[in-house]
Amino acid sequence: MLSNIDSLMHGFGVALSGYHIMLMMGGVLLGILVGVLPGLGAPNGVTLLLPLTFGMDPVSAIILLTSLYWGALFGGSTTSILFNIPGEPSSVATTFDGYPLARQGRATEALTCAFVSAGFGALVGVVVITLLSTAVANFALRFGPPEYFAVYLLAFSSFIAFGGGAPLKTIISLCLGFGLGMVGIDTVSGSMRLTFDIDQLVSGISFLVVVIGLFGLGELLLTIEDGPEFKGASGRIDPREMLRAVARMPRYWLAMLRGSAVGIWMGITPGGPTAASFMSYGIARRVSKNRANFGKGEPEGVIAPETADHSAGTAAMLPMLSLGIPGSATSAVMLGGLMIWGLNPGPMLFIEQHDFVWGMIASMYLGNVIGVVLALATVPLFAAMLSVSFSIIGPIIVTVCMVGAYTVASSPFDLWIALVFGAVGYAMKKLDYPLAPLILAMVIGDKAEDAFRQSMLSSDGSLGIFWSNWLVGGITTLAILFLLWPLVTLLRRPAQTTDPDAVTHEP
Amino acid sequence: MTRYHLELVFAALVFLMGAIGVYGATLLDTGWGADGPQAGFFPFRVGLILMAASALVMAQAVVSRVSLRRIPITDHEGMKRVLGFGLPIIVMVALAQWTGLYVAMALYLLFTIRFRGKRPWHVALGVALGVSIATFLVFETWFQVPLLKGPLEIMLGLG
Repeated sequence: MLSNIDSLMHGFGVALSGYHIMLMMGGVLLGILVGVLPGLGAPNGVTLLLPLTFGMDPVSAIILLTSLYWGALFGGSTTSILFNIPGEPSSVATTFDGYPLARQGRATEALTCAFVSAGFGALVGVVVITLLSTAVANFALRFGPPEYFAVYLLAFSSFIAFGGGAPLKTIISLCLGFGLGMVGIDTVSGSMRLTFDIDQLVSGISFLVVVIGLFGLGELLLTIEDGPEFKGASGRIDPREMLRAVARMPRYWLAMLRGSAVGIWMGITPGGPTAASFMSYGIARRVSKNRANFGKGEPEGVIAPETADHSAGTAAMLPMLSLGIPGSATSAVMLGGLMIWGLNPGPMLFIEQHDFVWGMIASMYLGNVIGVVLALATVPLFAAMLSVSFSIIGPIIVTVCMVGAYTVASSPFDLWIALVFGAVGYAMKKLDYPLAPLILAMVIGDKAEDAFRQSMLSSDGSLGIFWSNWLVGGITTLAILFLLWPLVTLLRRPAQTTDPDAVTHEP
Repeated sequence: MTRYHLELVFAALVFLMGAIGVYGATLLDTGWGADGPQAGFFPFRVGLILMAASALVMAQAVVSRVSLRRIPITDHEGMKRVLGFGLPIIVMVALAQWTGLYVAMALYLLFTIRFRGKRPWHVALGVALGVSIATFLVFETWFQVPLLKGPLEIMLGLG
């Protein structure tokens, strides 16, 4: 682990240039912007910016994209607290206590708590990455195709077991992603799959365009349906109140540590930030000594989901970097970016791309510190921006999404695909189908299939290779147990089977 | 439109997607050869899973139809807002296929802000031109990423 500290120092050397700090600030500001605006969130903010990074050096590109991600996480909390409108799905839990606090005129306190605890959660996440990433990567270096397939399977099945959605709907979401990812040329045999002689489908369906449709246009339709009126609490920040709130933060050390632990677990396993923040809020509401006050404006009710949200967001980078498996929708998009820049995500990255990996990890420390400062400093600015009517901002966001969809592959046909997935995303949200599994399946589905088929090539078509040693056998067995988990819960609580509209989230 | 109906419609669409996948897979070899699964093996099975899972979702919806029928997807006003917002986007995408993205987005912004947003003409025109020109500068000039262009840009010598 000591060598990791050395590597980190080296990483700071890479990340600490004027250009990179400028990129971080720009990325964080853009991120706050997409986080604040409904309809633009972290996954599609990163997607929209991705085509512009193709000409950049990979280190600079990843610094820009990760900074945008941190900014989006901060920005999502701002609107949750001031307007009761979560700018990001992962900041829904922040509205439960954040908005009541703002209504009581304690907006400064709520925002300070949110940003500082978010920064804390992110730092814990980065520390975990710093300490564990090389160990995980070294471990993964021993992986062959069967092990990779087992790990992919584990990622998919843990969505079904712990993703929080109805298992059947998670399966549908995953399989839609697999199916969409299969369109185009089959990488193993070279034959055309599911293209039905349509020229535009030969190159496949880009997951980036799907993200823009599902997360961008879909969210916008949901927002417009409610007839959004941004009537929020005042976004005025009182600096003295801010300092007092910071001074009170150590009091909540237990909530912050608990939130970070939940977040790191959910980030490394593909539960993602949204599930993490709900889970952390739920736990805090049950065990906190202030639990009676939850839902009425309790700072701990802001701190718990925020720490978990950000530590999950950062921790999701660990499996992405060291295994090539994304832990959240946004890191799935970044993984796609890595492949487009010509890098091969996975353990070899730590050996071949030392500068890239450690430059990125170092930038995560700096980016989050810059994020906390900029997020606090720009609250009035972005709050004022939301007072511009949605009838102007909404259409502008639509054009941004369309431009983004076109830049992915310079194909006019992609505009239609984005549009179709906008409608699909709206329906899926309405019906509680989880969206993240679809993206994950699209990004790593064909890698999983390749790994499976390569394993079969080496074992002459025998499935026994997935139990050929303790490591791969253990992972495969665990994955299958996760897959069967919903059946276990069904048997244990048969009453729930007839109630698919049961609320999946805590209040 | 209640949740019950949307559940059925969406599950039916998923079922159809699954069926298309199964059909597409049968055009390839769906079997398990000497070197393991062939190109159509996984598409075939993913299609089957989609069909089975969507059929189960439909069955679940039918079983709990009483409670699902009570959940409206959206009220009349909400539906109007969604359609009023969504339909112009379809028009813009259709238009963009031959006028290019810049002209289509400028017209889209102009008309939605003027008629749906009920803003004065000068505001709508300002936003439409401002956003299009800013997009042009950022993408074409700064990042050198060309966007879809049509007859107008060619006429102006920008294409």
